[in-house]
Amino acid sequence: MSDIFKALADPTRREILLMLAEHPNSVNNISKHFNMTRPAVSKHLKILQASNLVGMEMDEEDGRQRNCFAQLHALKEVEDYLGKLEAFWKDKLSGLGSYLAKNKQP
Amino acid sequence: MTPSIQLSVSYDYPVAQVWQALTNKVAMSEWLMPCDIEPVVGHHFQFKTKSYPGFSGIVDCTVLEVVENELLSFSWSGGSLKDTKVTFRLQPDGDKTILDFEHSGFEGLLNKLIVRRILANGWNTKILVDFLPKYLAKI
Repeated sequence: MSDIFKALADPTRREILLMLAEHPNSVNNISKHFNMTRPAVSKHLKILQASNLVGMEMDEEDGRQRNCFAQLHALKEVEDYLGKLEAFWKDKLSGLGSYLAKNKQP
Repeated sequence: MTPSIQLSVSYDYPVAQVWQALTNKVAMSEWLMPCDIEPVVGHHFQFKTKSYPGFSGIVDCTVLEVVENELLSFSWSGGSLKDTKVTFRLQPDGDKTILDFEHSGFEGLLNKLIVRRILANGWNTKILVDFLPKYLAKI
């Protein structure tokens, strides 16, 4: 179990995560963007990956390239919560229709 | 931009009847949840429902806006939600009524979840100000 807070304690890693949150990117592009060597970027990515904040996959066209993407479970959790809340309101507003039908006034 | 829940429903009943169902506590208790709402701005009331871990079963509300047959809004705080806002807008459509419903104000929920899951270390400005709105615009 890796420490998520340790992973985020480093400003460069935070910047990398924010960059990936906007769109996935290759290790190459990340090292160019931050003007860092690939091994230095890989080290940061490894730490982010160990905390499940970043995922990696092989590039489909170039097997030597790895693409990185942000994994933002907190945001997924928000989406799920709001999805449930919306279902709740849909159900209740439909219940309002039944209530009106039952208590119809002349 | 933060997300809100927006629903539009048409009812085959005149506005006055729908308004009654929204503002009468007996009616509201039947179709929504047991409560003691009064259509008076500033009135505090509660919805009481089943509790579960993380939710006491009580929703605290304060009436914010009342325009007879047109608009009712109240604050909604309970469980993970703090100071969110529920709004009902009514519009006559012949003998029918169109209800535009909105539940908004989830910034607090976002903060709470994000702080809990990934921030918690004093790192919050950029993600909340810059990147979150972009993400949410896509939801």
